Amino acid sequence: MRWRICYFPSVLQLFFLAIFVALPLIPFPRADAAPLDANTIIKRVEDNLNGKTAMMRFSMQVKTSRSLRTIKMTSYAVGKQKSFIRIDYPGRDKGITFLKINNAMWQYVPRIEKIFKIPASMMLQSWMGSDFTNDDLVKESSLSRDYTTRLQAETTNQYTLQLLPQADAAVVWEKIIMTVSRKYFLPMAVKYYDEDGKLVRVIRYLNVKKIGTRFYPTHWLVIPQGTEKSGHQTIIDITEAVFDKPIDNNYFRKTALRRFSN
Amino acid sequence: MFIKIAIKNICAYRKRSIITVALTAFSTALLIFSSALMTGSHNKMLANAVEVYPGYLQITQKDFRDVPSYDNLIFDVKAMHRKLSSIPGIAAIGARFETFVLFAAENKTVGGMLAGIEPKNENRLSRLAQSLKEGSYLSDGDAAQVYLGVGLAKKLQVKVGDTLAFVGTGADYSFSADILYVKGIFQTGSFDFDNSTAFVNKAYFDDAMAAENYATQIIVLPQNPSKSDALAEQINQQLGTEYQALGWRKSMDGLVEAMELDSVFGYISLAIIFLVIFFVIMIYTLLNIMGRSREIGMMRALGTTPGQVFIMLWMECLILGMLSVFIGGLFGGGLTAYFHFHPIQLSGYEEQFKQYGLMAAALPTVFRPIMIARDILIILTLSLFAAIYPIFKVNRYRPLEAIHHV
Repeated sequence: MRWRICYFPSVLQLFFLAIFVALPLIPFPRADAAPLDANTIIKRVEDNLNGKTAMMRFSMQVKTSRSLRTIKMTSYAVGKQKSFIRIDYPGRDKGITFLKINNAMWQYVPRIEKIFKIPASMMLQSWMGSDFTNDDLVKESSLSRDYTTRLQAETTNQYTLQLLPQADAAVVWEKIIMTVSRKYFLPMAVKYYDEDGKLVRVIRYLNVKKIGTRFYPTHWLVIPQGTEKSGHQTIIDITEAVFDKPIDNNYFRKTALRRFSN
Repeated sequence: MFIKIAIKNICAYRKRSIITVALTAFSTALLIFSSALMTGSHNKMLANAVEVYPGYLQITQKDFRDVPSYDNLIFDVKAMHRKLSSIPGIAAIGARFETFVLFAAENKTVGGMLAGIEPKNENRLSRLAQSLKEGSYLSDGDAAQVYLGVGLAKKLQVKVGDTLAFVGTGADYSFSADILYVKGIFQTGSFDFDNSTAFVNKAYFDDAMAAENYATQIIVLPQNPSKSDALAEQINQQLGTEYQALGWRKSMDGLVEAMELDSVFGYISLAIIFLVIFFVIMIYTLLNIMGRSREIGMMRALGTTPGQVFIMLWMECLILGMLSVFIGGLFGGGLTAYFHFHPIQLSGYEEQFKQYGLMAAALPTVFRPIMIARDILIILTLSLFAAIYPIFKVNRYRPLEAIHHV
């Protein structure tokens, strides 16, 4: 019997070949396939974290190797530029308010009845004894504006973004690496590096819950690196959040500091 | 015999001898006085810097100098006092709690250091009380009263009797704030210090800062400040590895090095001057010796060996040299001794000095016989070296040449 030297598929075989081999290669428009530009990703992340307006109640636990303190606060924010925070607990600090407008921050302390502006020299000091700095509160939302974002890697679950500061940006971090959840477009872990390339801080965003129409991480862990901060941690738990409801503009004037202190 | 000949020659060439002696004596006196003044004023500047606030001996938790955070405080001041009481050589002890706060007065907010001190002890450990300018210094019973630097008071635009507030972080990382009354204003003369520090009674501050029985450092005044390092060693052995006691030489090593560098530059300048003087003496000796070529040629012709000529001429220089450094030494030493007990006073300018940030209004010299002896030896060696070339030069001539030398 002579073996056939070349195999020529029949028309039917060609047809089935097309369906089973070629078709899956045609990109389906998938529900979550957005244009994967790094800038788009970071903007969506910021929008998801901030909303047009946001009212939140949260508790902050400041852990050190010697102590554990809890502070409860309420915050009101409009976009990225204006926010107002009031301390509700503990009793000693109740009524302390903070107002942030653009890059300036004021504080009111009821027990000494004084309002003062946080000067630039104090911007890197810790905020309320936590692992956040005053600068963090003032600059938290300007990542897309102050940094150039690059998509470093992606897997089925997450994107990894690399943020490097723009030439003229007055920022503290020389590099930020952010892993973003593809499902929610929320940050999962953000790593902050200083000008020596040293990892200074890691913030993890956990416990994503549905709040209203959006998903939001309700448990944040701020972990400073470096041996001098060993044992330190700041934990934020968001107990209540309302997004995109109009907020009284009076919250974002200097009069608000005293007026909404209690 | 050489000595007799040398002395005869010295007396014979009077002008040369006098000029050489004058030059060398002047150099000696200059060197002695300059090094005494340099060392003296550096010591005074160091003493001023140390005594204004930092103190002669500082005890901190072992990591505090590298990481000055609330995790590295001294957490049991009372226990520390007990341990230190058994160590001899300590004249006074005081605890301090230093922290960085925001000062707010009227419309001005300024960052600076606020420290809780023990007023009575502090009086012996630093010059805070002596630097009082307006109002009064703190006392042990004070509550929310603040004693602040003149520059800081100016920035905040407060005077004695006004109020100002501070906000900061307590030792337990809690938020801390209170209102203070300005009790006094000080001026130490150190700009940086006067512009950014303020003091309160530690007993009051411990309450506001949740810092009871805590301290950022403990300052010790040794009975003998020049033995601070040795005392620090003793204290380290007694306290163990948890703490670190540092004498001022180590804790202010930056300033010590700056003074040493200044000395180096001073000595370089002096060296240049002495190089010039060396050449002047050499040339003058050369002129004189060459002028005696005939005489030396005569001696050579009569059988004096070059070696003997060398010894004879060298003896002259040696005697002249010893005489001059003796005179110079007396003169320089006298000046040094005088200014040691009566330092160069720039008083009358003390106020102005303070405004320029200089604390030393009096520059003393140090009177140390060893230093004087060292300086004398240096100049003597220099002057002897100055003679070597001229003598060699004259010895190279042959006797007949020398005789016919003009």
